[in-house]
This record gives sequence, structure tokens and C-alpha cells, in this order.
Amino acid sequence: MSSVLLGEILAATMFLGVIGVLLLGFPVAFSLAGTALLFGTAGMFLGIFDPSNFGSLANRYIGTMSNEVLVAVPLFVFMGVMLERTGIAEALLTTMGKLFGNLRGGLGISVILVGALLAASTGVVGATVVTMGLISLPAMLRAGYDPKLASGVICASGTLGQIIPPSTVLIFMGDMLSGINAQVQMAKGNFAPEPVSVGALFAGAFIPGLVLVTLYIGWMIFKAITNPQSCPATPVPAEEKRHLWREVLVALVPALALIVAVLGSILGGIATPTEAASVGSVGAIALAAAKRRFTFSVLKQAVVATATMTSMIFIILFGAAVFSIVFRLMGGDNLVHAFLSNMPGGAIGATIIVVLIMFVLGFILDTFEIIFIVIPITAPILLTLGVDPIWLGVAVGVTLQTSFLTPPFGFSLFYLRGVAPSRVTTMMIYRGVGPFVALQLMAIGVLFLWPDLATWLPRLLYR
Amino acid sequence: MQILVGYVRAVGAINRWLGLALSWLSLAVVLVCFAVVVQRYFFHTTQLWMQDLYVWLSGAMFTGVAGFALLRDDHVRVDIFYRSWSTRGKAIADLIGVVLFLIPYVLVVGIYAWPFVMRSWRIYEGSANVGGMPGLFVLKSFIIVFVVVVGLQGLAMACRSILVLAGCEDQLPEPLRYRDESAS
Amino acid sequence: APAIAQGNITWRMVTTWPKNFPGLGVGAQNLADRITAASGGRLTVQVFAAGEMVPPLQSLDAVIDGSAEMSHGAAYYWQNKSQGLSFYTGVPYGMTSRELTAWVRFLGGQEIWDEIYDQFGVQGFLSGDTGTQAGGWFKKELTGVADIQGLRFRTPGLGGQTWAKLGAAVTNMAAGEIFAALQSGTLDAAEFVGPYNDLALGFYQIAKNYYFPSFVEPGLATELVVSKAKFQALPEDLQAIVKAVTQAAYDDVASDMYANDPRALQALVSEHGVQVRQFPEEILEAGAKAASEIIADIRSNGDALTKKVAESYVSAFNLLRTRTEGTDMPFLAARQKYFSFS
Ligand code: NA
Ligand code: NA
Repeated sequence: MSSVLLGEILAATMFLGVIGVLLLGFPVAFSLAGTALLFGTAGMFLGIFDPSNFGSLANRYIGTMSNEVLVAVPLFVFMGVMLERTGIAEALLTTMGKLFGNLRGGLGISVILVGALLAASTGVVGATVVTMGLISLPAMLRAGYDPKLASGVICASGTLGQIIPPSTVLIFMGDMLSGINAQVQMAKGNFAPEPVSVGALFAGAFIPGLVLVTLYIGWMIFKAITNPQSCPATPVPAEEKRHLWREVLVALVPALALIVAVLGSILGGIATPTEAASVGSVGAIALAAAKRRFTFSVLKQAVVATATMTSMIFIILFGAAVFSIVFRLMGGDNLVHAFLSNMPGGAIGATIIVVLIMFVLGFILDTFEIIFIVIPITAPILLTLGVDPIWLGVAVGVTLQTSFLTPPFGFSLFYLRGVAPSRVTTMMIYRGVGPFVALQLMAIGVLFLWPDLATWLPRLLYR
Repeated sequence: MQILVGYVRAVGAINRWLGLALSWLSLAVVLVCFAVVVQRYFFHTTQLWMQDLYVWLSGAMFTGVAGFALLRDDHVRVDIFYRSWSTRGKAIADLIGVVLFLIPYVLVVGIYAWPFVMRSWRIYEGSANVGGMPGLFVLKSFIIVFVVVVGLQGLAMACRSILVLAGCEDQLPEPLRYRDESAS
Repeated sequence: APAIAQGNITWRMVTTWPKNFPGLGVGAQNLADRITAASGGRLTVQVFAAGEMVPPLQSLDAVIDGSAEMSHGAAYYWQNKSQGLSFYTGVPYGMTSRELTAWVRFLGGQEIWDEIYDQFGVQGFLSGDTGTQAGGWFKKELTGVADIQGLRFRTPGLGGQTWAKLGAAVTNMAAGEIFAALQSGTLDAAEFVGPYNDLALGFYQIAKNYYFPSFVEPGLATELVVSKAKFQALPEDLQAIVKAVTQAAYDDVASDMYANDPRALQALVSEHGVQVRQFPEEILEAGAKAASEIIADIRSNGDALTKKVAESYVSAFNLLRTRTEGTDMPFLAARQKYFSFS
């Protein structure tokens, strides 16, 4: 057998093998790296992999450790954790719930709107689902909502943080895509390509994020019309309504201030995402202090949560680096290249396949692992075929929101399961997210039909 | 068995202490970066060493606390099956994972990074930026710190697995045992 | 170890340049292809563009660590490894291309360079030269030294130190990263090479003021670094091929740049509305003062090897300038004044 073919077979086996290995439940970062080392060793004995290539690991690691763009990740995580302590989510949920409560489907809509507001003011997915599960789920159940619909709307709204900027996932994606795009364009002879920056990707994701919010709200309205018992109105007592608008404004002010300061300065081209994130973090500290919630123990919890969460993500990136070295140098690159280049339908066909693979991987893996493994392998080929890098980043972001929602392994499902009362069964949660996964796929379809939704704003702002 | 218990406790204590200490670097990252922003936008100056500093602090933080994160079981697992297994089953999975994946990984990183880091020390390498931070060798050393803290904690996981399989998990203090998740 | 099949050797060359980049990237690729051709495939060189294997500014480390056998880049990118390396790329107000090759090849430069790289187990050769470079692209016009305060400027090496002394906030980044930084506002100004390269990188889209000449990069050489042990393990004929092809590549790159710079500059001015400017005398003078202070500082405070390079460089410079200023300059002045083809 030729060594090229042997290498490609080994690379393909490794890709499938690692999925099996991950199901063992050992931490993903080390499973990725360890599996790659096992296959690399096999490749070494077969004469198709040169272990001296691991010499570049330290180089890559120090490159990541001194990467200015990626510092936005711990900064946004810190800001998110700190913001959580200000009680902003609780205040918004309570007041918005009252504001929309006397409409059919109104509580659901208020969950979606709060999800979107929080998404636009922080970079992390996670805590939102827990807070909504604690505050809005009981409220909706009391109002007589179908538990499936209530769970679905909470889980889905909690994932908006990934696509509505700022977003940690988009930071990594922006950093990867900007390098890949520069290389692809220069190889084509275009030495001054439209730069892909994290800021541009944020801008690109903004309108598609709003499209998703619209789709979610549209679904709630549809349910309210076709199946009114699934989401009844909750009459709000008159005395609670009197000062309602003022309460709403007071609750909204901190979120809006942060959105304007952070997202506004990034999209306005005034500050880089890293700079804006540091301002947002200091802003979140100030908000917490203003609410008299800024204590030593809160600060300690925030720094520990920031450090460990950041470490967890970056160490997956470290492990994925080993995986991609072995995969590429054993010839996996050529294999993927041949596979994607020969897709019927050219660039669109190849993109559909990649999106589909990511969607399927999303059932068992989460966003970070998927982008760290799949983007470096597939994006160079897709961009060479002419796919717009910003559009690709946004489409991947929307697709991978489903990884939070699809059983058996979806973080939103876990978070909600952890706080939901036992009369909401796990099966109800699984079935409840179904329509929202479908809406997500619909949004991807919309992006394929109208790519300008993702590319128009960054062109306007960054060119 | 006593030796294993002692090792698990000692490594847990080291990583807890180191992790808590290095976690505070996240606050330093926030403050230094904020200071750079204030300088840039309000005083129209930039100090390159400060620009290096917050980036390097972040790099040192996420490598240095990796062992602490492992101790806290913060590293994400695909626990579709793992979650439902008995403590014994989990211990077997962890033992296999440490021996087959984690230890080879940190060894390979350590072996290949060692000369890279040593060379940086020999020449007291600084930032590649003119006017940048001195002491790039310190940041590079954090690759070795990462290898050591994760390697030690990995071995502690393996020791815990052995204790579980030998039926002696109760010799470990409560926080170092497997969490009982059957309740949730 | 490199894959060896039927006595054939494959070497990996990492570069600091983008793939197919005019002048430099193409020069690296040609160098690799010619070694492969001249050796009849016995030594096959595989090129990895910036970022393909390691981040561009980690290329030298890749060779030292054995994940590549060759690196094509510029010695001053590694000045944090040894200050002395800057001299092998170019010195502010220092030697022109011709003077630099004279020093490296015939006045003792190569020997000290070998000594420096010996510490890292590698060996360096001159692999190309850009000639006197352009001074850079500035978003705002420069009227004097005051305009330099706090200016965020991409310019590496001793030239960068010179600008830093004049008050600029200087950074180094690889070719492929500069455009985005200029556009996002991370940079106010950038210099890379000269019109031929800069046109390709598209800087004219963002900064319209193009300054000439660069007083900090009068003749800027690129290098080929090889792993010393692996190089010396090659059969003698292959060693000779590597050396001869590298020297030929030097000439090729230098001529390519010389031929295409003026053409590119015409395109920049006529098609893209670029303003060609000269630095104000105040900046040229302050720059010279800063440059001489930096060299003086290196001569008195550098480590032993760096001092040795500096001394060798200075004595060669003092000799060579008598040739350049006594013969070439008067000739050029006369040609400019009295002669043109009708
Ligand atoms: Na967000
Ligand atoms: Na999933």
C-alpha cells in the first residue's frame, strides 16, 4: 500500500476514533491530544509520520499564550461572571415579565428579549439558562405554560450569547479565520484581502442574531395564536403596573449602558474587542459596587471562575493543536481537500456538508471542540473555493448554537435540568427544544439564501 | 495505600494553593488592559511593556491554573455515559484516560518544550517588541508549569482511581473523592 | 529525522513571508525549488509559508527545535535572541546592500555571524536583499519630530529602536498582519519594504503618505538559516549546492526588487493617488543622532559577541564608505546633473 494512502486511512480512522474515545468521558482536551499521539506513534512506526513535527508544539503554545486578540476571552468571561453578580438578569426578567405578562405568549417573549439583551452585554453562554430556569420557568409553569414550550424557549434564548456579539466563540473563530483567510488570499495572489477581524465577525453576527430573535418571537406568537393554552397570559395586578415603566427603565439602564460602551465601541471601530472587554469588566465591577454587591468573596469567586473557565477552553485548544498536527501531516488535509473539492454544487455543496457535519458533531461535542478541530481542517478549503470568511464564521456560529440544544450532550439542557422542578421531565426538555433546533436550521437556510445578512454590516463598518 | 492517599492530598493542596493564587492574575489582566486603554484614549500614549504584560499575564494564568481546573473537574468531559456510571466505572475510565492520554501528552509536550524553554533562559530572552517586556523566558516557562501541574494532578487522578478500585476511597478526605451525583 | 528514502532527503523550509509574496516569498520558493532541481531531487525542499507550520516570527525556533531544517526570513526578527543579529539585516544610517555583502563575505562579517548562530546550533547565509527601502506609510503627514510622539508604528530591528527613541510606540509584526492592524487603527503607520512589496500588501488603501528613503533601512538583507548539524551531515556536493544556490538567490531577489520597485511606485502614484514625500530635515537629523546613540550604546554595553559584531561592522563601514562616497556618490551626482539619454 502506498504511504500516502496509508497516511490518509490512518488520519480518517483517527477522526472517527477520537469521537469514540471522547465517549469514554475523560476530559476532552487530553483525550484529543492522547488519541492523536497514539495514532502519531503508529504513523511513526509505519514511516508516515515524523515525530520531530511535535517540535512546533511549544512554538504554537507560546503563540497562543502571547496572542493579544485572544486575551479578549478571559476579559469577556470576567465581565460576564461579574455582571451575573449584579443581579441584572433577575431584574430584567422580573420587570420584563410584568411588562409582557398580560399578553398570550408574553412571558416567553420576555424571556427571549432578556436573553437577547444579556447576550448583547456579555460574551458567555451558561449562567443565563440557570437564572431563567430559576426565575422564569416557575413563573411560566404557574401561568399554565406547556412545560415543553417553556423549557425550549429558555434553553434556546440562553444560547443567543454565542451569536449575538460579544461572544467568546466568535473571538476564537475570528482569530482562526483571519489567519486562514490571509493565507488563502495571499496564495491566490491577493495580498491586500479584506481583513477578517474579531470586530468584523462581531458585526457580521449582529443582524443574524436579530434574525434569530425574530424567529424565536415569531414562533411564540404562532403558538399563542394556534395553541393559546400552551402559553396563557398572566394578568398583572394594577398596583404593580403603576410604576412598571420606571422599573423597566431602571432594570434596563445597566444592560444598555454596557451594550453601548462595549458593543458600540467595537462596532463603531473605536476600540478593539480586547480593549472594549477590559472597559466592560471594569464597568461590571462598578455596577456591582453600585448595587453594593462587590465584596471580597464575590471578587474571589469571579477571579477563580474566570481563570478556570478560560483555562478549560484554552487547554482544549492546546489538545486540538496536537490533533491537527498529526491529522494534517499524515495526509488528512489532502483527504479533506479531495472530499470537499469534489462535492457536487461546488462551494455551496462543500459548505452544506461542513455545516451538516458540525450539526451532527454538535449532538455529542460542544462548540469549542468542534471549531478547534473542524475549522483548521475545512476552512482553508472552503475559503479557497470562494466562501466569504465572515459569512462562514457566522453560519458556523448559528449552527453550533444547536450543540447546546441537541441531546444527549447539550449544555443548555444540562443547566436547565439542574434547576428545573422534577415535574418537568428530561423528555419534556428534549422535546421542547425540538422546534427551536428547527428554527436554528431555518436561520441557516436564511443565511444561505441572503448571505448579505452577515456580510453587509461588516462591509459598511470596516471598509 | 497510605502513600497514595498522601500523594493525592499533597498534590491537591499544591494545585489548590497555586490555582487560587494564579487566578488573581485575571484581575491583573483586567486592570492592566484597562490602564492601557485609559493611556491610549485619554493620554494618547502607549507603553509597549504594558501591552505585553496583560497578554503574558493571561497566558501564565490559563496554563498555571490548568492543574487546579483538573482538580476541580472543570475540564469539560463528554459525560453522556460517564455520568451514569458507578464510582468504580468512573475510576476505571479515569485510570485509562490518565495512562493512555494525559501522561503521554504532558510527556511529549515536556520533552519537546524543555530545550525551547532552556534556550530562552540561556539568553534571558525578552519581548520581540522594541520597548517590550523583559523576561519572555518566564512566560515560556509556564509551558513547563502547565506540564508539571497537569502531570501531577493526572497522577493524583490515577492514584484516586486505584484507591477506589482497591475499595479504599473512604481514606480520602471528602472533597477529594468522586462526587455523588446519583442525587441529581 | 528527515524522511530518507533511496538516499533522497526531504527538508522543511519555514518562512516569515506569505506564500507567493512578490520578491521575498517568491524568492524563498525559488531558492527551495532550485536546490531540489540542482540536486536532481536528492535534496527536496518543501516550503511552508508564514503561519502554515508555526507563527511567522517563530521560524528560527522551529529550526532550532528540529521541526524544520531551514528558515527563510530576516535576522533582525531575532534580535531578542542576540542583539548582534540586527547587523546582518541592516543598521540605521548604516551600510547599503553592496557594502553589507562586502562586509559579510570579505571583511569578516560571516565568521562572527557563524559564532552567534553557533550558540543555537544553526548557520546563516545571506539569501536576498531589498536595496534601500521606503521610509513607510503614514496616515498623517509628518511635519517634524513632534508628530512622532506616541505614533504607533510597525518597524522592526534597530530601525525600530531608532523610531522608538524619537518617541514612536514601535511594534513588530509579520507581513501578513500589518494591513489589518493599520485598518483597525492598531497602527498609525507602518513600513515594510518598498513599493514592489508594499503595493501588494495594499497599504495605499489606508495610508496615503509614502515617505522616501528609509534612513533606518538603507540596504536590507534576508537570510537563510539552516540547522548546522543537519547541514554538515549532508554530502559535500549537496552542501556546495545549498551555498551556491543561496548566493544566486541573493542576486536574484536583489535584482527583482531593483527592477520592480520603480514600476510599482509609478502604479502607486498614478493609479492609487499616493503622495510621495521625503522626511523633513529635522527628522532625518534627529534620526541620525538617535541611531548613533543606539550603536554607541551597543558598543559599550552589549554582550561580548554583540560588541564584536559592532566593532567589525564599524571598521568595515568606515572603510567602505570611502569607496562609496569617494567614487559612487560623485559619479551619481555628475550623472544626475549632466547626463540623460536623448
Ligand atoms: Na454575546
Ligand atoms: Na449537543
